[in-house]
Amino acid sequence: MKVFLTAIILAFTGGALFVNLGSIPDSFLLSHTASRFYREAVVTETGALNTVSAILYDFRAFDSLGESTVIFATVSGIVLLLSRKTLPVSSAGLSLIVKRTFGILTPFVFLLSVYIILHGHLSPGGGFQGGVLLAVITIIFCIIYGSSFDLSRYPPQRKTLIETTGALLFLGVGIIGIALTGSFLGNPSAWRGVPGTLPSAGSIVPINLGVGLKVGAGLAIIFYSMIQKTLKRQ
Amino acid sequence: MIYSLCFVALFMIGLYSILAQRDLIKMVIGLNLVEGAVFFWTITMVREAGGVPIVDLAFPELPMVDPIPQALTLTAIVISASTTALLLTIIVELNRMARTIEIDSLKGLRE
Repeated sequence: MKVFLTAIILAFTGGALFVNLGSIPDSFLLSHTASRFYREAVVTETGALNTVSAILYDFRAFDSLGESTVIFATVSGIVLLLSRKTLPVSSAGLSLIVKRTFGILTPFVFLLSVYIILHGHLSPGGGFQGGVLLAVITIIFCIIYGSSFDLSRYPPQRKTLIETTGALLFLGVGIIGIALTGSFLGNPSAWRGVPGTLPSAGSIVPINLGVGLKVGAGLAIIFYSMIQKTLKRQ
Repeated sequence: MIYSLCFVALFMIGLYSILAQRDLIKMVIGLNLVEGAVFFWTITMVREAGGVPIVDLAFPELPMVDPIPQALTLTAIVISASTTALLLTIIVELNRMARTIEIDSLKGLRE
């Protein structure tokens, strides 16, 4: 009976989805007006070259603020669920060869993440992608060098501080936007500079930096909470 | 056409996994498959030719694809990762309390 019911639901949903999606014409656009406006106004209105970044951190920056609030809520929930008074740590890492190799490699991972965050308005990337790469450094420390190394070098309090700094940077840019342009998260035209150069695009660069710090520290806290829990059970 | 077929196939695999599986981890995997199918469909919805949505200052008139689906998908990917992490954490805690992640064995939640 259950299998029969599942099959009926699946067949009905699949058929409805396929019939409806197949009828979309080939020249379909989400919104001609909005899409054309974004493509024409991206350089003149924001100074950025990367249109996706300009949409995320300028035209729809309030949306991104809500998104980083979701990450904050997730981190809070996970830390709350997995909170323990005593955190057991493991100093057992991998072999010496792996440790030496990653000692050379990890600075370049950091460099790549900083590059992706700071060039978010010029090339593919931005705060979210670079922030994930920042969190990779914590994963490398925990797995290659053991989590006691990560605990002694970058304790969770410091990660929380970094995350809060990122969120406050985002909000601060928004409030500066009120002062300079009259609207929350507005892009001050005095900061825009020459399009195509690194210090350009107004408020997009500091917002990218804030989001990068926030996402990196948030994901690092999530990974750290989960791996502590796993180590406790062993 | 082929995109719609791929989307429906991925979506159905995920939906089947949510409906028919009894393992909570497999249900989370199914949820992720459904989300991935929706991302795939949103990205492939734009059927016009064009380059990456980055303005080339030397040739500003070059056509680029619609940037809106990419921006929306980037937003949705972050939300999806957050919900997955929270779900997995809840499953870890559930496993610690009830010693099982099969939803049929979780009788204690009813009383």
